[in-house]
Amino acid sequence: MWQEVAEVVARSLLISGTATMLAAFWSIPVAMILTAKESEFRRVLLDLTNTLVAIPTVLVGLVLYLLLSRSGPLGFLGILYTPTSIVIGEAVLITPLIVSLSASVLRETRAGIWEMAVSIGATERQALVTMVTESLPRLMSVILIGFNRAIGELGVALMLGGNIKGLTRVMTTAIALEVSKGEFEFALALGGVLLFVTFLVTAIVRKVGKTA
Amino acid sequence: MRIRRVFVALTVAVVVSILFLSIYQTGQHENILRVTTTTSLYNTGLLDKLAEEFKQMHPDVSVQFIAIGSGEALRRAAQGDADMVLSHAPNLEKRYLDDGTLKPGKIFAYNYFIIVGPSDDPANVTGMSPIEAMAAIYTAGERGRAIFVSRADNSGTHNRELMLWSLASVNPSGKTWYLELGADMALTLMVANEKKAYTLSDVGTYLKFSDKLGELKPLVERGDALINIYSVYVVNPVKVPGVNEKLAEVFMRFITSEEGQKIIENYGIDEFGKPLFNAARGDPTGELKNVWESMAKLG
Amino acid sequence: MIELKRVSFAYANEDIIRDVNLTFGPGVTVVIGPNGSGKTTLLKLAAAIYRPRVGEVLIDGVNTWSAPETVRVSVRRNVVYVHEKPIMLRGSVADNVAYGLRIRNVPDDEVATRTEEALEALGIKHLAHEKAQTLSAGQQQKVALARALAVRPKNLLLDEPIASLDKSGREIFMELLREMVRKEVCVAMATHDRLLALQLMGRTIVVENKTATLIENPERIS
Repeated sequence: MWQEVAEVVARSLLISGTATMLAAFWSIPVAMILTAKESEFRRVLLDLTNTLVAIPTVLVGLVLYLLLSRSGPLGFLGILYTPTSIVIGEAVLITPLIVSLSASVLRETRAGIWEMAVSIGATERQALVTMVTESLPRLMSVILIGFNRAIGELGVALMLGGNIKGLTRVMTTAIALEVSKGEFEFALALGGVLLFVTFLVTAIVRKVGKTA
Repeated sequence: MRIRRVFVALTVAVVVSILFLSIYQTGQHENILRVTTTTSLYNTGLLDKLAEEFKQMHPDVSVQFIAIGSGEALRRAAQGDADMVLSHAPNLEKRYLDDGTLKPGKIFAYNYFIIVGPSDDPANVTGMSPIEAMAAIYTAGERGRAIFVSRADNSGTHNRELMLWSLASVNPSGKTWYLELGADMALTLMVANEKKAYTLSDVGTYLKFSDKLGELKPLVERGDALINIYSVYVVNPVKVPGVNEKLAEVFMRFITSEEGQKIIENYGIDEFGKPLFNAARGDPTGELKNVWESMAKLG
Repeated sequence: MIELKRVSFAYANEDIIRDVNLTFGPGVTVVIGPNGSGKTTLLKLAAAIYRPRVGEVLIDGVNTWSAPETVRVSVRRNVVYVHEKPIMLRGSVADNVAYGLRIRNVPDDEVATRTEEALEALGIKHLAHEKAQTLSAGQQQKVALARALAVRPKNLLLDEPIASLDKSGREIFMELLREMVRKEVCVAMATHDRLLALQLMGRTIVVENKTATLIENPERIS
């Protein structure tokens, strides 16, 4: 049984890790664009993003389910009930969170670093690059928060993954299953494992981030 | 430049992970059987046991269960996201049979729903028939002496509960003593226990939880109206393209075979001292089918 | 030489600077005025960091904001603005001082020598390998000045440059300033320090009531 638990833990890390990287991959450039210039339009977009942070996971799950369902527009991909669909779902889910938090990090850096870079002769591009490299440690924490939300969410994993044993069962869906089976003690133990693993990842990333 | 390296590293990481994940989903489509199933059935562990035995005979086949309420299980099948459905909601099944989503199925198991309630039984339902019991709960509820907790989630159990009320010719909807949860069986039982309320449960979930349900006991356990019929359906490939009909037929034959039926009727003895299900064994008298028909009509 | 022609600048729909005509340079220009009067805004406009709402900013004769970005960057590379609160990058003091040279693609060996020169000029060579962000405010100010010197700008805009310097720091700074004047660098600085303003006896700009006026004769300021 503990072998199965280890497998579920590894799957959770892999799925949520990939989802987080994917989300960071497009969210941070979006945040850069949103903070590059002050304008009413961008402010509205940022407000919208901040609102979407509160989106219920089940809703994201449902919308993506209808898209990925065999009868949906993306059904031909055949990725419903696979780890890939959870990766996509979690990436979509945490995108507003990462955009919103990165935007506030970048806006703060912009006031200082960007101005300094420009004032010493950087091109727009160089200033932007400096701004991002200088923000990296804080962007790293933002990405970690995204990861923690991804690994801790249930709605998307359940709706898109289907909690299939040995394929799409991740820690949260396993916990939900154990609860509905009445195995409260085991569910609690799994919850402990989830928190411990998340803590471990946070600590490791911080350590690595410091030495880099 | 530093940022470009970060960017490249990210890209590589994403590509590698996706490749790695895609290993999970190898195996041809023909060898994957997707079954949406009612939660109460899956949570007993019976299905994993059946799949395990099935795998001994068909090692290259992967049977994947998606455990959700009967309503959602049927709906997802209609969306094209399952090859097979295991359900216990005759009225809902009838609807999907009529519109051609499902091919005519087989009854493979049955047991009884139970009406559970507080041990002091304020509505005095002990010994009554299921329908009399529901009427008694309604009366007691109206007098402020009983509470009923409903799952209210369009599951098979919920549909049966609604049927029982209508058979008793009462309608509790909107009453203050009638709590509509929108929750699974487990949570519903926990709430009933906290509130010392009556509720309708499947027997498997109740037995699994009985050690946590100190305030409750089963009060009505028999009666035709409580028969809980589990049917297996193959999704109709004519109506829903892409269904793995062949594999579904094979698995259905296994479930209804002598071997499958033996597993079903012995399941739960180790844990609870008595079986959780009765095997239908092809329903030789046609009695189960009759009950199913009458329930499908009532829905 | 930096020229501002009919420049107005607004933040959040409110003018902070209105219709200003000014010339910075040659030599030293001191910018004084009450807190929040817009001294910093004026310098940032002159450094082409802020874009004016209306008006023109001419750096060495080039109209900065109507020029294409490549031209703007190359003129702007003759101007350095140093923040009042020094902004340090991650990494060492030497990295910080070298930053302006690196973005100009100066060859590595020249970066090294010019960085060292700049550190030496401010007397902070011993800090070269310290993490810049952990230094005291005074030390950071010196790093920021060294970073500015390293790129050898023709125009240097300083915002309260001596606010957090101690006595010896101020002496070093005054020495540097004389050096700048000798090299015909155009220097403008905003300061609260009346003593410094008098010491320099340069051209003085008073910023007040959203406008800025050049006073040729600083003794008349009361």
